Amino acid sequence: MQIYLPIAEISVNIFLILGMGGGVGFLSGLFGVGGGFLMTPLLIFIGIPPAIAVSTGANQIVASSISGVLAHWKRGNVDLKMGYMLLIGGVVGSTLGVWLFTYLKTLGQVDLVIQLSYVLFLGTIGLLMLIESLKSMRALKKGPIKRKHHNFLHALPFKMRFRHSKLYISAILPIVIGFVVGVLSAIMGVGGGFVMVPAMIYILGMPTSVMVGTSLFQIIFVTANVTFLQSVNNFSVDVVLAVLLLIGAVVGAQFGAKAGAKLKGEQVRILLAIMVISVCIKIALDLTLTPDDIYVLGPTGGH
Amino acid sequence: MRIFCSLIVIFIFTTSSAHSDDLDVDLSRPDVQLNVSFKGSELLIFGAKDLQGDVIIVVRGPTKDTSVRLKQKIMGVWANTDEVVFADAPSYYALAATQPISELLSAKDLKTERIGTHNLGLNTIKKPKGATAKIVQDFTDGLIRNMKAKSLYTKETGIVKRVGRQLFRTNLWFPSNVSVGDYTVDTFLVVDKKIESRKTTHLQVHKVGFEAKVFNFAHEHAMLYGLLAIVIAVISGWVANVVFKTEGQ
Repeated sequence: MQIYLPIAEISVNIFLILGMGGGVGFLSGLFGVGGGFLMTPLLIFIGIPPAIAVSTGANQIVASSISGVLAHWKRGNVDLKMGYMLLIGGVVGSTLGVWLFTYLKTLGQVDLVIQLSYVLFLGTIGLLMLIESLKSMRALKKGPIKRKHHNFLHALPFKMRFRHSKLYISAILPIVIGFVVGVLSAIMGVGGGFVMVPAMIYILGMPTSVMVGTSLFQIIFVTANVTFLQSVNNFSVDVVLAVLLLIGAVVGAQFGAKAGAKLKGEQVRILLAIMVISVCIKIALDLTLTPDDIYVLGPTGGH
Repeated sequence: MRIFCSLIVIFIFTTSSAHSDDLDVDLSRPDVQLNVSFKGSELLIFGAKDLQGDVIIVVRGPTKDTSVRLKQKIMGVWANTDEVVFADAPSYYALAATQPISELLSAKDLKTERIGTHNLGLNTIKKPKGATAKIVQDFTDGLIRNMKAKSLYTKETGIVKRVGRQLFRTNLWFPSNVSVGDYTVDTFLVVDKKIESRKTTHLQVHKVGFEAKVFNFAHEHAMLYGLLAIVIAVISGWVANVVFKTEGQ
């Protein structure tokens, strides 16, 4: 059954979209990530214009993050103070990101920047995760590993106490992390959990219990900001597409979470790392292999 | 524009020997409606002619300035480089005829009448410094290839079928990515390599119902639309959490 999307201005198969939402939702439930880094490339792959894919992806992530954060909230796993600091950086970063997105669009370079960001971030994060989880798998046999590092980051000013996370660190750190994630969110159409969670572990040294809840809390507001700004600046949020995706995603996520409970933490991380690297390789190939046509239509044409 | 068109028609009819009722053309529907279930649409163009001769039908979509960029490999990565912007390129171009057009009219006539995708007669608004005619032609070819790949320009000339001695018909395909706006259908009656008669009809492509409401709302009340998109997402996320929590237990 085909459905015509009012903003993307193309006709898509409704079951393909629901299935994609379900598949990405399953994986996000399994791995405890938002899944934006899979959803946006998939949307572009089936022919949704990149600008629409990025903005609509952000809108869909608002819904899946709300659904996720509520569960963490009830268990008291959201560090609000940390969340607010991340949010300050996030709102500034995402606003700048949307502005940058609009500017790159006029230069005709937005697709390239989206793809390069994907290769760079997914490649780095994927490799780091793979190495780390392989190491800790080996270390498990020997004994627990130490996670907290003391370096120059702890010498920064504006120190604040984050009771919930049991941390006493500079407020600059979460603000900068929030900022970077905000920019990525606007340009890549992702929540940014895959950048934020490692940053929380390795840079902030947050306990794993509050990590996901706090990251989701920040993602809600940043993706909502992106949705709003993209609607106003680029008219590129397709509500119909977003609703179809999120119906699939919330159902898929429930099954994913059940499947995830049966796997060990280290196994989940290795699988996630492999998936992140695969998406990275796919996009890297698109960038380097000779395209079908070396002449392409610019942003003023096409739709 | 319409006055201008009819002036041309009057001019042609008064200067040529053709009779105004040589040619009649109509469409199976006066418009193409983009609704929720739209997945492309076929339209029938049919007509009658008095004279023995061939028929050429050209359909043009609304025009817009269109940018074409050249991809080049820079540091191992394919990036967009030079840009040519064409003024008023048709967003849709379909061509159908009773015989191959090169056998019906001279190359010069085809060019002046802009019949065929290689005769679009596009002007450039912007081009790289020192771009030769050859380079611009490469960009033009690139534009046409891209539009053909999107099925927005006809890949091959369509067939106008003759029905008996006087009637003719052809089917047009509008893919799901067509632009909204005013489409013109030009029909030419060709006898002995000369255009004996011509007729211009209009066709509207527009969004209707829910699609039109969403699209207009998104453009006219962008802020409200953005807020509404967020509210929908928040409610859906909350509902999902409540529904699945009770089911899970």
